[in-house]
Amino acid sequence: MASLNWKIGGKAGEGIAVTSFLMSKICQRAGLQVFEYSEYPSLIRGGHTSGQVKAGDAVSCQQKHVDLIVVMNEDTVRLHLDEFDEHTKLLVDTQDDKIDFTKYPSIKPEQLVAVPMVQISREQTGKSLASNMVALAVTCYLFGLDHSVLQQVISDFFKKKGQTVIDENVKAADAGLKFSQENLQIPNSKFQNPTASKTLFWTGAEAIGFGALSAGVQYYSAYPMTPTSNLMHFMAAAQAKFPVVVKHAEDEISAINGALGASFSGVRSMTGTAGGGFALMVEGVSLAGVTELPLVAVVGGRPGPATGLPTWTSQTDLQYVIHAGHGEFPKVVFTPGNLEESFKITHLAFLLAEKYHTQCYIISDKLLLESRMTVDASVIPTEFTNTRLSMAQDPLPEDNSFRRFIDTPEGYSPRSVPGQAHGLQLTNSYEHDEYGYATEDALMTKKMVEKRMRKLDGIIKEVPAPIVVGPAEAEITFVCWGSTRLVLEEVLRQVNQNGATRANFIHIMTAMPFHKDVFAALAGKAKKLVMVEENIGRQGELLIREQTGITFEHRINRYDGRPFYAEDIVKELENL
Amino acid sequence: MSTTSDVTLKSPIFPTWCPGCGDYGIWGAIKKALVECNIPEEQLVVVFGVGCSGNMADFLRCYGFHALHGRALPNAEAIKLANHGLKVVVIAGDGDTYGEGMGHFIAACRGNHDITLIVHDNQVYGLTTGQAAPTTPKGRETKSTPTGQIEVPVNPIALAVTTGASFVARGFAGNIPYTTELIKKGIAHKGFALVDVFQPCVTFNHENTHVWYNERVYQLDPANYDATKRDQAWTKSWEIEKLPLGVFYEDVTQHAYHEDVPLLAKGPLTTQFPSTVSLAENFKEYQ
Repeated sequence: MASLNWKIGGKAGEGIAVTSFLMSKICQRAGLQVFEYSEYPSLIRGGHTSGQVKAGDAVSCQQKHVDLIVVMNEDTVRLHLDEFDEHTKLLVDTQDDKIDFTKYPSIKPEQLVAVPMVQISREQTGKSLASNMVALAVTCYLFGLDHSVLQQVISDFFKKKGQTVIDENVKAADAGLKFSQENLQIPNSKFQNPTASKTLFWTGAEAIGFGALSAGVQYYSAYPMTPTSNLMHFMAAAQAKFPVVVKHAEDEISAINGALGASFSGVRSMTGTAGGGFALMVEGVSLAGVTELPLVAVVGGRPGPATGLPTWTSQTDLQYVIHAGHGEFPKVVFTPGNLEESFKITHLAFLLAEKYHTQCYIISDKLLLESRMTVDASVIPTEFTNTRLSMAQDPLPEDNSFRRFIDTPEGYSPRSVPGQAHGLQLTNSYEHDEYGYATEDALMTKKMVEKRMRKLDGIIKEVPAPIVVGPAEAEITFVCWGSTRLVLEEVLRQVNQNGATRANFIHIMTAMPFHKDVFAALAGKAKKLVMVEENIGRQGELLIREQTGITFEHRINRYDGRPFYAEDIVKELENL
Repeated sequence: MSTTSDVTLKSPIFPTWCPGCGDYGIWGAIKKALVECNIPEEQLVVVFGVGCSGNMADFLRCYGFHALHGRALPNAEAIKLANHGLKVVVIAGDGDTYGEGMGHFIAACRGNHDITLIVHDNQVYGLTTGQAAPTTPKGRETKSTPTGQIEVPVNPIALAVTTGASFVARGFAGNIPYTTELIKKGIAHKGFALVDVFQPCVTFNHENTHVWYNERVYQLDPANYDATKRDQAWTKSWEIEKLPLGVFYEDVTQHAYHEDVPLLAKGPLTTQFPSTVSLAENFKEYQ
């Protein structure tokens, strides 16, 4: 399977993110699947930043080994040395004499591709800014990607800045192509017949955002925090086109209480944060439990404890989200693993939250929320019809006999909202009777606790069960939840070549309520189970053990803030 | 559809406050004000904090939300933003508002959200049996400050005036008709309205009693006091020998938060539920 892995590294603020985005768009438009992964420090300028684009016929995650890297500074060589081999090309500026390559004996001179990128940019535009366009033109030339696609991507991207800016950048790119044709070896295109299926190029945050909009989200309140700030930005921008109000709250306590207030008024609402912000929200989690207000919340994983590694990835908050909130109440916790699941599960979360008057969590992480990747457009629906669920009948009896929290076999009780005549009710943080008035009565307390928990009996029938990805039977069965799916798909591509059945994996999309029987049946067919998750505490593994009694003898854990790489897992297979 | 009246407000539960509690007076003033404002009962939402004041949730029949301690304001702001056709009133205590929920209080003032906040200000924690409140005077001995409160008290009026509230008033539980008028003005005001109400706590505060208040309170005379001057309101709020009651500050020129949300010009958010959504056009830029 043909693929390329391109990277650019430099200081934060040097246009790394933009160049990387444009490279991704070129690959997407060329008909390839794309995964764009970025690494950046928690600061605005100066620290080392890299953008990486893996593209090819079948791509689901980032890759360690780099084919071509655009070197903007010495850190790009020093910090990524272990990603190079003798086939890696390093694109450097001819006039950049700051990097002493003799310090890196593993890099042979023939690996260096020297192009006067800054000089070409200056000649063509009078500025050095367009040197990144030269780099992209050289990249396209070397990978055999069509130069006209680059021109089109540039003109789309700079559309808002006007024709002059487009022309300047295209000129720089054209000069980059000319230089390549005259000075560089003729490439062999690996991508002769790319599959031209239509894709969407999204971050996980955009998939969640569109999923929410598709379900009619109307209120999003949050406080900025990586890696869900981009979801906040997405929702804020969506206000111009959708009937949604976004509130940048004074803190996460206010954010979740705002989402619950909006929900009380009758609109579908959502909040989003990371582990630290969720800590502030937890009081509200419990409030959502007793008030039976619909709530959807996104919790983005990054390494803790405390401020931790703000801009890196982790799966350390699964048990935390599952157990968050004092008292006992039902909760739904989803762990979508890719764009399609993020979109569809978010849509479903809104329906379940409103139908069952409950809270639904979407656990994601930096890798999935901030990386951009392609998804086959045909699996993402575009047209939606939304209807209200579990609302009180209208009109209500005029004798004011309506009981908001009436005990029902299904556990949820039809809900009135302010504005509805004869629907007066008290939504109460205290334990309450069927009208909502506070109670300390033992029988009423027991009845209400049981009523709320009963919702799980219905919910379990509506949440996605674990699935097996790959061959039905294999020598090794990995188990994962969340974004680890992306990496394990690549692992299967590498170990199952030519029809081999070396490995498959069970993917868990719903952590709570847990499909015990389905999981046990799938795990029962496995010859060797290997848990793969991004934490040291074996959080998913312990959940499975708690729910099914199944124990693991093999596991692969990572907890250094970096995502798994397929290459590493393939290597680990030898030790199992 | 019924207009809010003594009948519609009547809950089956009778108050559990101590005999002689100032909360009865505030309860009376709130009910009277709500009735006199002629609000359809289903268009009124009252959000309650947690404390003796918040227990009013059980004694006032309405669309109610009995929030978490300190968090009533964030709930109320969003209730209003989601359906700005509603009248939203918050009933909370001084510990609730100026202690646990201080950050939310300042944010609500800054946002000038169109809600009316009525604070039962008794300078003590009542429901938790007598600890120091944010409004407790420096030096006072309480259960949590046996050698005397070290911190200086919050000045709610000065704080509200300083942080952007557009209506700031103070009432007294011992004067129901006067407090009723202040609450009515607060509800009629477009923007964030604070009505801080002095409330004797007969069980846990033996200093600031009915008699103590009656000896000190006086009503601001609109003929001699211009409530449109922010600096004057601020100065007035620092009088402590005699305690002014009335409207300290009122600015009718400021927009309420929801008025500056462009989408809401089309009507309340609740009326804009997207029963159909088409994403096709939006997906184009991602292709």
